[in-house]
Amino acid sequence: SLLLLLVSNLLLWQSVTPLPVCPGGAVRCQVTLRDLFDRAVVLSHYIHNLSSEMFSEFDKRYTQGRGFISKALNSCHTSSLATPEDKEQAQQISQKDFLSLIVSILRSWNEPLYHLVTEVRGMQEAPEAILSKAIEIEEQSKRLLEGMELILSQVHPETRENAVYSVWSGLPSLQMADEESRLFAYYNLLHCLRRDSHKIDNYLKLLKCRIVHDNNC
Amino acid sequence: MFQISSYVQPSEQYKNSFLLWHGPTGMDLWQLLLTLALAGSSDAFSGRETTAAILSRVSQSLLSVNPGLKTNSSKKPKFTKCRSPELETFSCHWTDAVHHGLKNPGPIQLFYTRRNAQEGTQEWKECPDYVSAGENSCYFNSSFTSIWIPYCIKLTSNGGTVDEKCFSVNQIVQPDPPIALNWTLLNISLTGVHADIQVRWEAPPNADIQKGWMVLEYELQYKEVNETQWKMMDPILSTSVPLYSLRVDKEYEVRVRSKQRKSENYGEFSEVLYVKLPQMSQFTCEEDFYFPWLLIIIFGISGLTVMLFVFLFSKQQRIKMLILPPVPVPKIKGIDPDLLKEGKLEEVNTILAIHDSCKPEFHSDDSWVEFIELDIEDPDEKTEGSDTDRLLSSDHEKSHSNLGVKDGDSGRTSCYEPDMLETDFNASDIHDGTSQVVQPQRLKGEADLLCLDQKNQNNSPYHDACPAIHQPSVIQAEKNKPQPLLTDGAESTHQAAHIQLSNPSSLANIDFYAQVSDITPAGSVVLSPGQKNKAGVSQCDMHPEVSLCQANFIMDNAYFCEADAKKCIPVAPHIKVESHTEPSFNQEDIYITTESLTTTSGRPGTAEHVPGSEMPVPDYTSIHIVQSPQGLILNATALPLPDKEFLSSCGYVSTDQLNKIMP
Repeated sequence: SLLLLLVSNLLLWQSVTPLPVCPGGAVRCQVTLRDLFDRAVVLSHYIHNLSSEMFSEFDKRYTQGRGFISKALNSCHTSSLATPEDKEQAQQISQKDFLSLIVSILRSWNEPLYHLVTEVRGMQEAPEAILSKAIEIEEQSKRLLEGMELILSQVHPETRENAVYSVWSGLPSLQMADEESRLFAYYNLLHCLRRDSHKIDNYLKLLKCRIVHDNNC
Repeated sequence: MFQISSYVQPSEQYKNSFLLWHGPTGMDLWQLLLTLALAGSSDAFSGRETTAAILSRVSQSLLSVNPGLKTNSSKKPKFTKCRSPELETFSCHWTDAVHHGLKNPGPIQLFYTRRNAQEGTQEWKECPDYVSAGENSCYFNSSFTSIWIPYCIKLTSNGGTVDEKCFSVNQIVQPDPPIALNWTLLNISLTGVHADIQVRWEAPPNADIQKGWMVLEYELQYKEVNETQWKMMDPILSTSVPLYSLRVDKEYEVRVRSKQRKSENYGEFSEVLYVKLPQMSQFTCEEDFYFPWLLIIIFGISGLTVMLFVFLFSKQQRIKMLILPPVPVPKIKGIDPDLLKEGKLEEVNTILAIHDSCKPEFHSDDSWVEFIELDIEDPDEKTEGSDTDRLLSSDHEKSHSNLGVKDGDSGRTSCYEPDMLETDFNASDIHDGTSQVVQPQRLKGEADLLCLDQKNQNNSPYHDACPAIHQPSVIQAEKNKPQPLLTDGAESTHQAAHIQLSNPSSLANIDFYAQVSDITPAGSVVLSPGQKNKAGVSQCDMHPEVSLCQANFIMDNAYFCEADAKKCIPVAPHIKVESHTEPSFNQEDIYITTESLTTTSGRPGTAEHVPGSEMPVPDYTSIHIVQSPQGLILNATALPLPDKEFLSSCGYVSTDQLNKIMP
């Protein structure tokens, strides 16, 4: 939690100084790629920590011992994206595709996060810890997405903005009347969020070492 | 379906789950049987596997509940740990089954499945490698490992599932211990007793740090060789860390462990590194730091002593008062008790002349005014009534007690020490002071003629003092004596007293003070007319002048300034007339003590000024002779003209002053 505090402080500082907009193709940019990646890694690490905590709290509070895990595995909406599942696959994917993939995952989570926040807020006895984390994750995800798009435009300026992302259609399940189904829907969503945030964090660390440090972190 | 909560995958939180296997906890047998019944009867369960799982769980729980069901005590194999050291492979371990029974169970098998959306229904595949990870283990190499895909594994024995578990590989990461620990000396302290070293290590080789696949953080622990407790340092991301202030003459042990930055589980500890520091000096000096308690105590005591002495001998009276409050002595307003004791009238008069306290504001808010109280707490005294009542044998209700603050302030301050913080100090001195003052009077067995409130049974006697009536501060012992005299001698005054007393509303305190004008040889006290109270009673009303002057004294003490006294003096005779029984009003003859009566009886000083009824009789006289402990002798004060120098005096004039005043 101390780490979280430090990271959040770091991020607050970061948020004060907005990422400068480097026009595509500009030779000189105010923020170096290294700095961009550093910030991105910090953000992704922070988001993953928040997601893990949020999931743990939710599970402890609502779904402990219900056996959801056996049902919820791998039913995330981002599973349709072709993400590398181990190190070899990650090493084989190209830089450009990798970055685009990360951007896609982040984009895919925009809407679910938004709905998660509104739904949790509307819950009776809205759990404050979970709600605050959800809000924070949503905010930081947007920031990370901006950063990643910026990196992408820096590293691969020719890449066109492709709107590839997975559509999330789980909103009705979040609003189901049956409590068990509804809880399962939340559980699934938070589980997927934790998983995807870990993925993004790992991918970014890989990319950072690959691009900035030339595979020599 | 009926969920056997304790038997569901032990924990939904992968991170902690692997080390916290809990098998079937104690369940109710009832619950178990019910489950069995449900499981057996229902066909609605989706999938063969769930039914089998439930059955297996039930059977296992049955076994746990009643171990006797099985032939012999045998532990079921269950998963102990699944671990991925580098996020590329993982392995799972389980406990071996202990069988003492006759039946030899078949080999234990592990089946796994990857819950992939694309794969659709799950199929259980057998463990690819039972060997590489050791006994009772299953090793999944990198081709079988997918990081973010959930796995489920199960142990089977004799076709029956013994244990089951689901997880994702990214949640079971426990890195290997760091390797290649070494240390280098940074520096040694000048004393040669302490040294700093830098400890370095390398990340576990199988963790791919370079490509950024894993990011590790480390925790270092160290201790002296003899100690049992390891000292922990905060997690760090780098692979070297300095250790400061190690003792040269001791040996240390250092160990490091690592963990994946995002997860919670640390890996194993590295090998212990022994640190033996080079000893530069031959001799080892005891540099142990003992907290200098002795020094602190000594300095503290000496400092306090110095401060105490400073305060004690300081000229600053205020500080001294604060630290060592003086024991208050009984004080009569305007009179120093020492002077009283020693009988130095000159000094007393001088002091009184200085006294400038006739300003009402000085006394206005002082409930403790210059009255010396006698035995306030004495219940008998209270019940017996006020002094006046006693004197006048009146049984009127006394409302003295409700005047609020008791004037427990006798001798609180004298006029010349207005700034002394004696209000707090003197509260306790009442009895002491009064006793001291009372003593001489008691000795003589007479009411005191001081017109000093040596006993203040009521709270504000002066408020109610009516010019017509003076109330002496009477010692309780002397109540009876004055009464007979006054009852016959001062009907009018008694009437006035009655009027006063009968008007309790106007009389906040019916117990007022009257001046003792004479003491008969028999020892009785003759009261002279006193001042009316501010509210005014009939008698007082008759003398508006008196009431006027009385009004000035509302807040004043029983003694009034000479200037005011002069106003009252003309009136006095009128009132005085009433006390006609007094044959000779010779203030000169007002003595406190019978003994002094004889000695001072021949005082002619003011005789001419007190021509009896014609002469204005001041209510209060000055003290002529102070003979302590015998008492005081009052001077009659006839003040036809105020002299400037006496204006400020408090109603007391010395004999010399009086002589000056006398026309």
